[in-house]
Amino acid sequence: MKVTIAKVDETLFDGEAESLTVPAVSGEMTILGEHMPLITTLKGGTVTVRGKNIPDEKQFFEIKGGVLEVRQDGVTIVL
Amino acid sequence: MAGLKIIKTKIRSIEKTQTVTKAMEAVSAAKMRKAQLRAIHGRAYARAAVSILSRVSGSQEMQNHPLVATRPVVKALYIVITSDKGLAGALNSAVLRGTTADIAASGLSHENISIIAVGRKAHDFFTTRGFTVEASHRNTDEISSELIREIVDEAADRYALGAVDTVKIAYQNFISTFEQRPTLRTVFPLSLGELSRVVGDIVPAKGVFSNLHKEGSQPHTYTIEPSAEEILDTIIPKLASIFVYHALLESQASEHSARMVSMKSASDKAAEMEHALTLKFNKARQAVITREVSEITGGMEAMAG
Repeated sequence: MKVTIAKVDETLFDGEAESLTVPAVSGEMTILGEHMPLITTLKGGTVTVRGKNIPDEKQFFEIKGGVLEVRQDGVTIVL
Repeated sequence: MAGLKIIKTKIRSIEKTQTVTKAMEAVSAAKMRKAQLRAIHGRAYARAAVSILSRVSGSQEMQNHPLVATRPVVKALYIVITSDKGLAGALNSAVLRGTTADIAASGLSHENISIIAVGRKAHDFFTTRGFTVEASHRNTDEISSELIREIVDEAADRYALGAVDTVKIAYQNFISTFEQRPTLRTVFPLSLGELSRVVGDIVPAKGVFSNLHKEGSQPHTYTIEPSAEEILDTIIPKLASIFVYHALLESQASEHSARMVSMKSASDKAAEMEHALTLKFNKARQAVITREVSEITGGMEAMAG
């Protein structure tokens, strides 16, 4: 699953990931590959990206809010 | 001999000027490439944001959103982006001319126009002509997210409150190193078509980055949570910041390439002048030698006679 986390002037993460956990407005959600297309707003919190090959490898991003889009070819978070 | 010395001094000063213009040319070339690269990197964000908007754009909420709804234009706000510094050919005057032409075409009087100036040239131009300049920002090489937010917040607030009925942004669009075009885009009321054009403009028509035009496919059905309205509230200010960010980047790429081109022609002209003056110097030197030789031979003839 291709994940892109971007600010208007900066790309924070762009690459393959196993799963993605985000603080959606309706509660925390984890997105795996082949998730159905979705658009949702995010609230402040931590976005966790788990690496593709090493599942224990995690990357954290503090966000203040944003929008998440899940497409067939990947996931994008605009902050 | 005095004439020779003057020419020599001129040649030296031209050589020095040429060194400076050559250095400025190189610096501008590097900065132009950097601005282009940043614009390319910003595409992922711009494309994602536009694609999200296009999912919710058909909805009723979209038509009624305070930043999307259109109304008759009585007051207009222009965000005008120019450079801080000169020596960039017709860059700034083209943007300023485009803006004044648009103001004239809209038929609004001076009191109904307000300006947010980015870059010293825009500030000076509109202040001396008696327009209301709401805010002035510097146009520095580093584009900070604070600057973008400040401009967007100011414009969005004024539009949402009804203080202005349209917000337009004027900048120089980078098409290729040798071609930049003054461009005017409507930020508010926000429209998908205008936004797609901005995103399309990010990839220059010619040059190294022009082969990035092909785009991927888009899916069809989306689940939207919690509601289209909430999504719009979050995404619309972000979309407006795309306008501002890319307008700033485009105008910087344009500024640097315009400066690069004008510095290149200055260097070429300096080389040409140096050549002409060297020729003149050699001729003058030759004339002095010829005169001295003829004086000597004349003197010898006189003594021999």
